[in-house]
Amino acid sequence: MGYTTLLRIARMATLLIVQLVILNHLHLFGYATPLLIGYMMICFDTSTSRTTSLLWGFATGIIFDLFSNTAGVGAASCTLLAMVQPYLLKLYMPRDVNELFKPTIQTLTLQKYICYILSCMGVIHFAFYMLQAFTMADFWLTLGAIIGGTLLASLFVVCIEFIIHNKKEDTEVISGQ
Amino acid sequence: MQNLIDFIVKYKHWFLFLLLEIFSLSLMFRFNSYQGSVFFTTANSMVGGIYSTVNGVTSYVSLGDVNARLEADNEQLRAEIYEMKRVLAERHIDTLRFNGFERSKFRFIGAKVVNATLQRSNNTLTINKGEKDGIRPEMGVICSSGVVGIVYLTSTNYSIVIPLINTNSKVSCRLGKSNFFGTLEWHHGDPTRAQMVGVPLHAKIKKGQLVETNGFSDIFPSSIPIGHVESVETAPDGLSHMITVQLSTDFNTLQNVSVITNYFHAERRLIEQQADSLLEDDGNADLL
Repeated sequence: MGYTTLLRIARMATLLIVQLVILNHLHLFGYATPLLIGYMMICFDTSTSRTTSLLWGFATGIIFDLFSNTAGVGAASCTLLAMVQPYLLKLYMPRDVNELFKPTIQTLTLQKYICYILSCMGVIHFAFYMLQAFTMADFWLTLGAIIGGTLLASLFVVCIEFIIHNKKEDTEVISGQ
Repeated sequence: MQNLIDFIVKYKHWFLFLLLEIFSLSLMFRFNSYQGSVFFTTANSMVGGIYSTVNGVTSYVSLGDVNARLEADNEQLRAEIYEMKRVLAERHIDTLRFNGFERSKFRFIGAKVVNATLQRSNNTLTINKGEKDGIRPEMGVICSSGVVGIVYLTSTNYSIVIPLINTNSKVSCRLGKSNFFGTLEWHHGDPTRAQMVGVPLHAKIKKGQLVETNGFSDIFPSSIPIGHVESVETAPDGLSHMITVQLSTDFNTLQNVSVITNYFHAERRLIEQQADSLLEDDGNADLL
């Protein structure tokens, strides 16, 4: 088991714990719950094979479903995001990059990164809330949940990215001294 | 085959994606009651729609067979209609129905009773049809409920009928189902009852038993109702029954009658007279 795999397992565990323990009880405007587990798929770099990303996405989703009583909804949403994530990343990454590309604020710039995060979070929230509602009767309510959850989850992701970025800079400064 | 394998390997992530999505959605429909009910309701309606469409197409395809069956039915119905028309052309419509009725022998002429006497011993009826209409003496007269009488005199436009309630009336009759014969007479008095005489004492007679014409006289066809047995007594001669018959015909309200024309009656009468005269001649010769 390589470092990348261990890192992904640790990331998945952390995200699931945060999601299940904290975020599942956070309801913006009463119904918009941010799905931070989407960050798991957002972090995949260009070297990750499609099959691998799909299996990771499905695993994340199914574990989320097990503890959220949303059988299949989370798994379907995460698998969908894992499938479209490479295409979304390709939209925002520089065209002249041929080697490994990891989506971060530094590599994409803040503006593009936010757009990328919003796109990915939009996909997972759209899929999740549409499947959960499974009707167009309360479309505006569902749309509100999608937008609210997307914005809130994107905000969390950006915050996490900033924290990680600052930590890295601090580490670099310390090692430089 | 290699191309197929290459295709599957190249797009394996798509197949995996579909597989995982199908699995996820099946979980969702299986374990979420709301989504499950919506899915299965929609699926049922879709399947119902598909079945309906398939049924419509199948019905349309099988219209040829239906058409062939209808054609065969039409052919059969046409044949039956033709046969019925042919039979109807040979028949004459009549309002009276009698068992053993010989249509080719008897014809019926409708008439109305224009005058009637019911209180005398020699009662008569006058009807508004006469010789001009083909009516001759000794023709039977009936109505819808049974026997009325026999034509006695005819003029051009009218006829006199001797009804059953005339002391001179004698009509040959029989007891229904037992075939014992007798003669119906009327002994002045009640116009609703007559007497049947000549039935042997060993005949078993039941109250209410039908009395009808026996067809011997050639005036009436057989099996025309006359009345029902009301009571049975022994005749004054002590050798036969005298049966009181409740007449079927109500002479008090009688209006419409039918005269039975039998144009072979004269021929029969002639040959019977010839036979009688010949027998009388033979008898005289033997005596000589």
